[in-house]
Amino acid sequence: MLNDIPSSNDFLQRFLYSHDISFLPFIRTKTPDIVFQPRDEEDVLKILKFARDNLKPVIPRGSATSGYGGVLPVRGGIVVDFFRMNKFNVDEDSKILIAEPGAVWWDIEKELNKKGLSLRVYPTSAPSSTVGGWISQNGYGVGSLAYGSIADNVVKLRVADFSGIRDTEEIEYYVGMEGTTGIITRAWIRVKDYEDFNYYAFHVDAEKAVKLAYASNYYSALFIDRNYIELKNKVANTDLPERDTLVIATTKKMDGNEEIGREIWESRFYPIRIKRLGPSLIPAEVLVPSEKLPLFFRKFNPKAQFGSEVWFIKGGKAAVLSFILCDERRWSYVLYWRYILKALKIAKKLGGQSYSTGYYLSKESKNLRNFKDLFEFKKKVDPNNLLNPNKVFPSGLLPKLIAIAEVFS
Amino acid sequence: MKEFLEKEALICAQCHYCRVCPVYSVIGWESVSPRGRMFMLRSILKGKLEPSIVVEDFYKCTTCGACEVVCQTSIPLVDVWETARADFVRKGFAPLNIHKMLREIAEKTGSPYKEKREDRGKWAEKYKTKEKAEIIYFAGCTASYRTKELAENTVEFFTKVGIDFCYAGADEVCCGSPFLRTGQREIVYEFFKKNYSEWRRRGVKTIVTTCAGCYRTISRDYPKIAEELGYKWDFKVFHTVQIIHKLLKEGKIKLKEWREKITYHDPCHLGRHMGIYEEPREVLKALNTDFVEMERNRENALCCGAGGGVRSQFKEIAMEIGKKRIEEAKRTGAKYIISCCPFCKLHLEQSSEGSMEVLDIIEVVNKKL
Repeated sequence: MLNDIPSSNDFLQRFLYSHDISFLPFIRTKTPDIVFQPRDEEDVLKILKFARDNLKPVIPRGSATSGYGGVLPVRGGIVVDFFRMNKFNVDEDSKILIAEPGAVWWDIEKELNKKGLSLRVYPTSAPSSTVGGWISQNGYGVGSLAYGSIADNVVKLRVADFSGIRDTEEIEYYVGMEGTTGIITRAWIRVKDYEDFNYYAFHVDAEKAVKLAYASNYYSALFIDRNYIELKNKVANTDLPERDTLVIATTKKMDGNEEIGREIWESRFYPIRIKRLGPSLIPAEVLVPSEKLPLFFRKFNPKAQFGSEVWFIKGGKAAVLSFILCDERRWSYVLYWRYILKALKIAKKLGGQSYSTGYYLSKESKNLRNFKDLFEFKKKVDPNNLLNPNKVFPSGLLPKLIAIAEVFS
Repeated sequence: MKEFLEKEALICAQCHYCRVCPVYSVIGWESVSPRGRMFMLRSILKGKLEPSIVVEDFYKCTTCGACEVVCQTSIPLVDVWETARADFVRKGFAPLNIHKMLREIAEKTGSPYKEKREDRGKWAEKYKTKEKAEIIYFAGCTASYRTKELAENTVEFFTKVGIDFCYAGADEVCCGSPFLRTGQREIVYEFFKKNYSEWRRRGVKTIVTTCAGCYRTISRDYPKIAEELGYKWDFKVFHTVQIIHKLLKEGKIKLKEWREKITYHDPCHLGRHMGIYEEPREVLKALNTDFVEMERNRENALCCGAGGGVRSQFKEIAMEIGKKRIEEAKRTGAKYIISCCPFCKLHLEQSSEGSMEVLDIIEVVNKKL
C-alpha cells in the first residue's frame, strides 16, 4: 500500500530526520522508524492509515527551521517530510494563495511578485521555511505590524486525520498546534497587492522605538539593539552605527536614514549570521507587550555576548529574539540555556508569553486561552495520541523538568 | 584539517537556506543537502556517526558553491566539502570507485580521459604554435580530447588578434581539478610539478585557459600548492573571456553583429568560485545579441550538474540537473545557450539531447571577429 510513496528507513536518513535547529544538552530523542515524503493528499491519508493500524506516531515536518523541538520524533514513529508537496497557486481576483504544506515562503513571494501581488506576512526564515511549518507554529515576522500573525491571514485549511480529510475554517484547532490535531495538507492564505516600500532607520532606544512603530499604519517595524549591531559589524564586515536602531518599512515618506534602513532590511533573513562568533548560539524568544519592551530589556541582561532583534506586531505585542553566543565545547554551555527560561520568566511577569511551545516548552500551552477546548478536541480526533505526541500538549517528564528549571533560572 | 571541519560544523545553524543545492533539489533527501552533510560532519566529530556510511553522500555534490552564497553563517562550504573528501581519502573511506579509476587512468595518461598522452595536442597539429613565449595557452583535458572546437577557436582567435603565445601539447597535463574536487590530492601535486616545470622551461609569465575549472584551479589552488611545496608563484592567470573583454574595452577588436536570441550559463568555477560574471555578459552584449537572462543567474545560477565528480560517479543525477538547466534556458525563449567552460558545454549539450544549441563564447567571438 505504501510502497510507491517515496520513503527511507535507512539509518542515515532516520538519523538526519530526528533533529531541528536546536542542540539542547541532555535532550535525547529517538530516530524515527521511517521517513515518508508524500506526493499528494492521497499519500498522506495512506500514511495516516498505516500509522493508525500500527499505532505509530506521525510527525509532520517542513524545513525543521524552528528550535522548539516540534519536529522531533520523541517516541520514534513516522516522520512525514513535505519536500514533495510544495505546489501553490493564487486566485488573483480574491487575492488568496492556495499552497501545499511544503511550499517555501520565499518561492511563493517571488511568484506572487510576478503577478503584482505579495505576501502580507512571512517569516524571517522565508528562504527555507515552509507554509505548513509556519502555520503549525503560528509565527510572527515581516509584515506582522500591519497584518498580525500568520493565523490572522489564514482563511481556510485542509486537514487530514485518522477519519479522513476535510476543509475547515475553524483554523484555531490547527494553527500553532504542530500537527497534534491533524496534518495540514493545504492552506488558503490572504495576500495583498505588491507595494514598493521605503525603509527608514531611526537611532532610537526601545521606548522611542515603540512609540514610533505604532505612530502610524506602517507595514513592518524591526528594532535591533546596539549589542546586536556591534556583533553584526564584527562578523559581516559592515559599518553600521553601533546604536539601538528601528527600521520601518512603509509606503509613506519619513525622515529616517534610508541607506541604513535598506541595508538592515536587506539582511532581515540573516539574523543568525552572528553565530560565526560563537560558534554556538542560544536563541531566547518571547512575546511581550510592546509598551513593556524597555522594561524587558532592562531586566533581561545575560552575562554573555548577546544581541536582540524585535519585530513589532499588530495589537501592541513585540516578538523579541535575543541571541546568546556561547561555545558548546565548554562545560558552561549547559548554564547558558537558563537564559531562555529567564527571558520567558521575565516576559510572563510583564504580561507576555512564550513565542511558541513545540516540545521543549509544551508546558506553556496550558496558558493558552482555549487550552481546555483544544485538549478535548485532541482527545476526540486522536484518541491514541499518535499525532505528534509530546508536542504542545505537555506529557512525560520534560515539561516538569523545564518548570523546575524555570524556577531556578 | 580536523579543527577547520569541527569549527565550521559547529557554526552551521542548520537554517536550510542551502536547500538551493542542485543535487538536493533533484533528490530531496537530507543526506545530500549541505546542512545534512554539515550535521553528518558534526556527528562524525562527536563520534555519533561512522564516516563509512556518509561517504557516498558527501560525493553527491557538484561543489558548485550555491550553498556558500546563501549561507547564513558565511561558511566556506566548498572548502569544507573538499577538505572532508580529502580527509575521507586519507583515512581510506574514499575515493569512490569511478573517481579512483579516473585517477588510475590519469596516472597513465596525464588526464582523466583514456586517450593517449601523446594525442593530447593532436587538435593543434594544423596550427603553428610556438615552443616558447611569455603567454601559454593551457587547453585543459576536456577541450583537448572532447570539445576540441574550443581549443581550436581559441588558438585561431589568439592568432587573429596577434597574441604571441606558446602551447605545451603533449607536455601539458591535467591541472588536477577533478582530483582536487574528489579529495585525491596526491596526484595533483605531481601534475602541478609537471605543469610548473613546463611553464618555467618555456619562459611563461602568463597562463590563459578556456576552461573554467582549469582557471579556478590554476589561479586559486596552484598558488596554495606552490606555497606548500616551497615553489615561487608569480604567474598571471586569465580565462580567455577576460582577454576578449580586455581587448574589446581597449578597442583593439571589434565584433560583428550576431542578431540571435541568446542566454548565458555561468560556469560555477568561473562565476561563484572566481567572481567573473560581467565580462562574459559584456562580450555577448558587444555582439549586439538579443540577450536574455535565465531566472537563476550570476551567483544564483543553477549548476550544469557535471562538476565535483558527480558526472563521472552519479551520471543520472548530473543529467537530471543538466536537464533542469536546459529547461530554464528554454523558458527564456533563447535559441542558444552560451557558456565559458568546455565541461559545461559537453554536459549541457548531452542534457539538451539536441533540443537547444550550446556554444562556448570563444566559438562565437572567433566567428564574429
